[in-house]
Amino acid sequence: MLQDEKYQEQIQRIFAKYPDKRSAVMPLLYLAQEAYGWLPEEALDEVAELCDIDPTQVKSIAGFYTMYRETPKGKYWLQVCTDLPCALRGADQFYEELKAYLEVEEGGTTEDGLFTVEHVMCLAACDRAPMLQCNFHYMENLDMDKMRAWIEERRAEAREKEQKS
Amino acid sequence: MSEVTIYIDGQEYRVPANTNLVDVAKFYADNDIPVFCYHPKMAPVGMCRMCLVKMGSVEKNRETGEVVTDENGNPKIRWFPKLQTACTQTVYDGLAIITNSEEVQVARDDIIEFILTSHPLDCPICDKGGECPLQNLTMRHGPGQSVFYYEDKMHLDKHVPLGELIYLDRERCIQCARCTRFCDELVGDDVLAFHERGRRLQIVTISDPPFDTKFSGNTTDICPVGALTTADFRFGARPWELKEVPSLDPYGPEGANISLSTRLDRDAGGRIVIKRVMPRQNEYVNEIWISDKTRFGHHHTRSDERLTKPLIRQNGQLAEASWEEAYQVITDRLRAAKSLGVIAGPNQSNEDLWELKQLASHVENHHLGVFPATMSGGDIVNTVGVGVGTNFLDLKKGDVIVVVASDLEEEAPIWYLRTKVARDRGVKLVLLNARPTKLSKYAKYNLTYAYGDAVSAINSLISAVIGAGKINDEILSRVDGYDELAKSVKKPAYTNFTEAAEAIGDAQNMIVLAGSEGLTLAQQRELMQACANLLIVTGHVGRPNNGLIPVWHGANIQGAYDLGFTAEATEAIYQESLDVVLVAGCNPVGEVVEAEALQNANFVVVTSLFETETTAIADVVLPRQSFAERDGTFTSGERRVQRFYTAQGVIGESLPDWRIFAEIHYRLGGPKPKLSAGAVMAEINKAVPSYAEMRYKKLAEMPRQFPDVGGEDLYYGGTAYQNRGGIGQQTPTVAEDPEARLSVRPVEAMTPKFDGLVVIPTTLLYDRGVLFRRSTLMHQRIPAPHIVINPEDAEAQGITDGDTVAIVVEGHRYEVQVKIDKTLPRGAVLMPRRLSNRPDPSVPTVLESIEKIVQPVPVTEG
Ligand code: SF4
Ligand code: FES
Ligand code: FES
Repeated sequence: MLQDEKYQEQIQRIFAKYPDKRSAVMPLLYLAQEAYGWLPEEALDEVAELCDIDPTQVKSIAGFYTMYRETPKGKYWLQVCTDLPCALRGADQFYEELKAYLEVEEGGTTEDGLFTVEHVMCLAACDRAPMLQCNFHYMENLDMDKMRAWIEERRAEAREKEQKS
Repeated sequence: MSEVTIYIDGQEYRVPANTNLVDVAKFYADNDIPVFCYHPKMAPVGMCRMCLVKMGSVEKNRETGEVVTDENGNPKIRWFPKLQTACTQTVYDGLAIITNSEEVQVARDDIIEFILTSHPLDCPICDKGGECPLQNLTMRHGPGQSVFYYEDKMHLDKHVPLGELIYLDRERCIQCARCTRFCDELVGDDVLAFHERGRRLQIVTISDPPFDTKFSGNTTDICPVGALTTADFRFGARPWELKEVPSLDPYGPEGANISLSTRLDRDAGGRIVIKRVMPRQNEYVNEIWISDKTRFGHHHTRSDERLTKPLIRQNGQLAEASWEEAYQVITDRLRAAKSLGVIAGPNQSNEDLWELKQLASHVENHHLGVFPATMSGGDIVNTVGVGVGTNFLDLKKGDVIVVVASDLEEEAPIWYLRTKVARDRGVKLVLLNARPTKLSKYAKYNLTYAYGDAVSAINSLISAVIGAGKINDEILSRVDGYDELAKSVKKPAYTNFTEAAEAIGDAQNMIVLAGSEGLTLAQQRELMQACANLLIVTGHVGRPNNGLIPVWHGANIQGAYDLGFTAEATEAIYQESLDVVLVAGCNPVGEVVEAEALQNANFVVVTSLFETETTAIADVVLPRQSFAERDGTFTSGERRVQRFYTAQGVIGESLPDWRIFAEIHYRLGGPKPKLSAGAVMAEINKAVPSYAEMRYKKLAEMPRQFPDVGGEDLYYGGTAYQNRGGIGQQTPTVAEDPEARLSVRPVEAMTPKFDGLVVIPTTLLYDRGVLFRRSTLMHQRIPAPHIVINPEDAEAQGITDGDTVAIVVEGHRYEVQVKIDKTLPRGAVLMPRRLSNRPDPSVPTVLESIEKIVQPVPVTEG
């Protein structure tokens, strides 16, 4: 997928930032993750090929950092902080309710393929808890009412899109 | 080497400066500091904390530099407030450590307790049990109880295949990173890595094929737990049931030292058999490493297909006979023989070769040939080979290694590894080849020449050395022929070698490894001479760590040359039609097209382990013994004569080759056969000057080696074995005698002009040779018969990657797969040897035709 025309410029821009190719592994992994939605083995192979290193090394890097996903995930990746300061403001309760509402387990993905939920450590937004990170964007000062509304909006969007196509 | 004073547990020691504390404590103070992540062959990382000791420095008077002493006269020491890792410490003058205090004991106990929180402790079903560093250290330091919850143990996958050779048990891994660092730092194949982190950290490989390195087995030796085990030995035996027998790699020219782990085995009908092959430490040769071919290529020794009785051809069929009958037929023929051709295989021992030579001398008109006949110049090696005492480990910054016409990783993996590691220490690598190889990325200078033109390349290098004014004048006083040589290289074919030539001219030490890829035998001989010229005029001969190493295709080709066998004689045997041909332990008819001619001999005798294409044309076939059933010696490419010992029971009625030849000779009126291989060697000692000192007893000497790997404390270096069979002895070269004259002579390139595509035979490590193909475990790693071709040439021929094609070379047709390689020069078609069941061209040959085979389309019904 990274061979696609549309990624070439971005790839070149990434490479330009580093003295040697292998240093570009991490930004390229992000790019691949954006392209594929997660990091299947093909994606690792492509990055390895681009950086001229063994795919095993790429996998090792992807495995070390938690922001790379090596299992498929939904369109919206919801990472709820449940660390102590957040928990004191009810984040753990919020997390439980969110899972119940979406009918998924920790780390699971909803059947429609839209949402993946997991809990994470402090995201440095303790004062705005409960909070979560959705595809690397913060959503703050949450409660379940807000969440339910947001979720239903996304579902409606998806349905609309499907009907159109 | 300068020395420093250090204090271990209050005791004073003088030790070499700039050495690692753990190594030094073990070697000089007999103090085993426990380690897991540290390994003496790799840079320390300080990951496991097992090696904690109390550390400090003696106080010195700042003005006088004198050691300050306390009231008892002991040096005053300033201790660090906390314990330090010993493995990350290089010794310096005044370093002091305490290893036996309670504080240190407690720290060790605690680390073990911590490591065990994530270890399954399944020793009863673990292959490593009995030789496990973790088990041993737990016995010494393990707490009977743990403050951690048992239920909290991390459970991860068991028996995960990392490819078909190595199995991983993820929960046993203690995350020392020895395996990943070995692959990454030493070998350079970074195909193993950590995945995830913390207690979930686990080893992964996703290379293709998985765990893609020729040295994978070594990780199982250095893994300090049973996390990595070989498919070969898994659940095979308990270490304490095994008897270790010192032996040698029967395949390669490096002379890798191995240990055969043997035991009486029910599955083998109660015979003693090899259960596994382990490395045996020889710091001069293979240190503690062996290739996967050496480790997993032993199965031929106990294959069911082994020949067990002599066979005599009667009415066109080979039929079993007694030895006496076989000897009778052979001696009758030899008595009447007018001419005799002898072809000695690549792992005939020196003793075999000696008796073979004695036997051959019975027929006046005889040729002593060696197989494979890919390389020549054993005599040149005896003049300018590497000096006695050579050790790749001694090469350092300012030294140079030159590799010419060889794909070292495939042809001599141990030399590949040692060259690569030497380069990491700062040795400059000069590579001359017609195509890039795996070593290319490590080379400082990659000098490319056209196929067949290796000699011009070396000549050009000499020319550039002369041009740079870097000739060693000192040595010229003992060199004959310099002026002619200088004149002959005036017009170099390659003019861009100046930088490499300067590096060579400035080198302190230089070793040249010369191979044979893309060369005819005559050209190869000229290449050896050209390399000798280069080494002589730059003064890199007659000293340790300087000289020529031939990349022979076999374990004892050097020995064969030393005893009078040559590849040229083999060519002569193919060409002349001889009365009797005796083939000893090889399969020329199945491997090279030229050997077809052997059919024309009136009488053919073959000693063999198996039925082969060569035994198929034989009149008498004699069952020989493999290297594992007998004693003997091989001489490596570095001219190190080394012993191997009897490890397993005799198969059938097979006999060692030397014995067979001696018995025949005896019946022809020769002396009574000797009783042992050692007695044969004693005769060689007397008759061959360069072997005068190669007495069995001397070859078995085993000086203490540094680092001291292979003792009881398995945690230090892993399960490589201590050398109990001797480290062997190098034969001296002519150049080492300061009085000896050295001669150089102009050599001509004889580069042939070919039209169109040329098939270049190459050598791969894994092939379908008679012995290696019995190791079924390795079959997935042996490539299908194939050719490698440049993409433009492929396009011109209308073929693409993965196609099956029929090629015709000198009238022989081969069906092969096509592999495209854009790094290959145009016009060259690589054809690796011994992959098919048909004999291959043995020298570069014009490709007559190439045609795509259209695979029949599978018929689908409906
Ligand atoms: S598999 Fe063995 S060698 Fe590799 S990190 Fe784990 S314990 Fe160390
Ligand atoms: S604890 Fe939740 S963002 Fe810091
Ligand atoms: S930290 Fe020293 S051996 Fe591991």
